Amino acid sequence: MTKGLSKEFFEELAARANANPDLFRRLGTADMTLVVKVDYADKSDYYELVFAGYQCKGVSQLKSIADAAKGAVVISGPYSAWREMIENIVVNGHADLEHTLNTLTLMDTPLKVEADNQLDADLFYRYQQNLQEFFDGAGRADSSAQTATVQ
Amino acid sequence: MPHASPIVEKALDTLSDVSNGKLDLSWMNSNPKGWGVKATPRDERGLGLEDINRVGNYGIVPEGGSIYGSMAPRGAEIPDDMPSLGCYDINDKSLVWADNVAHLYDEAVARQWSSARDIPWGELKPQREDLEKAMCQVCTNLAEIEFVAGDMPAKWLWHINHDFHEVKLFLASQIFDEARHMEVFRKRALANGGGLLRSSPDSENLLRVILEAPNFTTGSALMHILGEGFVLTLFRNGEMFALGPVEKKMFRLCMQDEARHVAYGTMHLKYFLEKHPERESEIHDILQRGEEATFSLNQTQDTIEARAILMGGGLDHIEEGFKKLGYLFKKQIHEYLYRLKMAGIDRTNRMAIPVELPI
Repeated sequence: MTKGLSKEFFEELAARANANPDLFRRLGTADMTLVVKVDYADKSDYYELVFAGYQCKGVSQLKSIADAAKGAVVISGPYSAWREMIENIVVNGHADLEHTLNTLTLMDTPLKVEADNQLDADLFYRYQQNLQEFFDGAGRADSSAQTATVQ
Repeated sequence: MPHASPIVEKALDTLSDVSNGKLDLSWMNSNPKGWGVKATPRDERGLGLEDINRVGNYGIVPEGGSIYGSMAPRGAEIPDDMPSLGCYDINDKSLVWADNVAHLYDEAVARQWSSARDIPWGELKPQREDLEKAMCQVCTNLAEIEFVAGDMPAKWLWHINHDFHEVKLFLASQIFDEARHMEVFRKRALANGGGLLRSSPDSENLLRVILEAPNFTTGSALMHILGEGFVLTLFRNGEMFALGPVEKKMFRLCMQDEARHVAYGTMHLKYFLEKHPERESEIHDILQRGEEATFSLNQTQDTIEARAILMGGGLDHIEEGFKKLGYLFKKQIHEYLYRLKMAGIDRTNRMAIPVELPI
C-alpha cells in the first residue's frame, strides 16, 4: 500500500474498490462526492473522491475547499486521527468498532462531517457502508505491499 | 359448459374470431408518439427508472394525474371507454412529488439487504444482564415504532394517481425497508438470551398522530422528516449503543435506509411548499403536534433509561449515558431544523419542545 495520505494512496484505495465489484454491487449504488480534509499544524490537504454507481470514479487533490464539487460532503480532522484510523484498518484488516468513520465522527471529534446543507450531509449516512468498505480497502491484502501504510 | 355469462360469451367470441384468422391488430398502430424509443442504461448500474424517464415523452410527469383514474401506465394510449377505478383521488403532483424520487427508488432497489444474511448473527456474545435488557428494551421500542413508516405510506399509496408511479414505487420500497427494520430489531431481541420487554403507550400516541394526519403531505412531514429524521440520528448514534458487530451493522444498515426516506420527505415538502406557500401554517401546526409527541416518546422512563444504560456502557455508568443522550438530542434537533430549512420552512423560533435536554 502506498505510504502516506496522498493522492496516490486514495487512488490505490479506489483501484482496490473498483477491483472488488461483487462487494460493492452487494452494497448497492452510491452517488456522492466526498472530500477528505487532512489538517496539519500549518496547512490542510484536500482529496476529492467521486463515487457513482458501484465505483469510485475519480480521485483528485484540491488546492482548497473552494474547488470542491457542489454538494460535496467534507470529512475533516487532524492528520493524527486519519493516521490512527488507517493504521487500525491495516492491523485488523478492517476498522474495529472504535475506528469506523461513523464512530470517529459521532461527536464531531476527532473527525467531523460537514456539507452545505443537511440533505447533502445525509449522504454520509445513506452510503455509510460503502464509504467504510472503501476505507477498509486499506486493510485488504494486495500483491504490491502489505507493509506499514501511513507515515 | 353450463350457461356462460355475457362477459364470458364475449371473451369466447373474441377467441373464436382470432383463432379463425379474423384479426384486428389496430393496437399495433396505437400510441404512435410513444413508439421508437430506446432507453439505455447510463452505466453499469443497469436500466433504472431515471434512464427510462429520459426517452420520448415518458418522463413528463403531468401536474394533474390522468383524469381516467385507472391503472393505465403513464405514456400509454388510453381508450375512450377506459373505466375509472374510483379510488385514485390524489391527482395533484404537488401533493406527492419530490424531484429526487426516481433516483431514490433506483437506489432503494440496488441497496436492499437481508436481516437474515447480512447481519453477523453468529458473532453475538452473551452480555451482562443490564446491557442485554437495555438492548432488548431499545429493540422492543424500535420494533414497535418502525412499521408506522410502512403503515403510513400504505394508507396513502392506493390513493395516488398512477401517473405518479415513481412515488408509488418508492413508497412501496419504503414499506419493505420498514418490514426489514421491524424484523431485524425483533430478531435482535430474541437472539441473545433476552426477549421483548415493555411496549410503550407514549409511542402509540406519536404513531396515532402520524397515521391520523389529515393528508399525505402532513403525514410525510411528520413521519419522513420528524420521526424518521430523529430515528436516523438515533441509528447513527447506534454506534454508541452497539454491544458488538451485530448491533453496529444492524444500526448502520437501517440508518442507510432511513436516510433515503428522509431525503424523499425533505424534497417532497420542498416541492409542496414551492407550489403551495399558503399552506405553510398547516405544516407548522402538524409539526408542533408531532414534536410534542416525539419528545414525550423519547423521554419515557423505559426509553431514556435503556438508552442511557447502553450509551454509558452499563447501569453503573448511566450518568455518562445521560450526557451522551443530551448530545444525541441536540444533534437530532439540529439536523431536524436543517432539513426543514432545506425544505423551505424555519421552525427555529417555533419549536414546541426544548432544543436541549435539561440533564
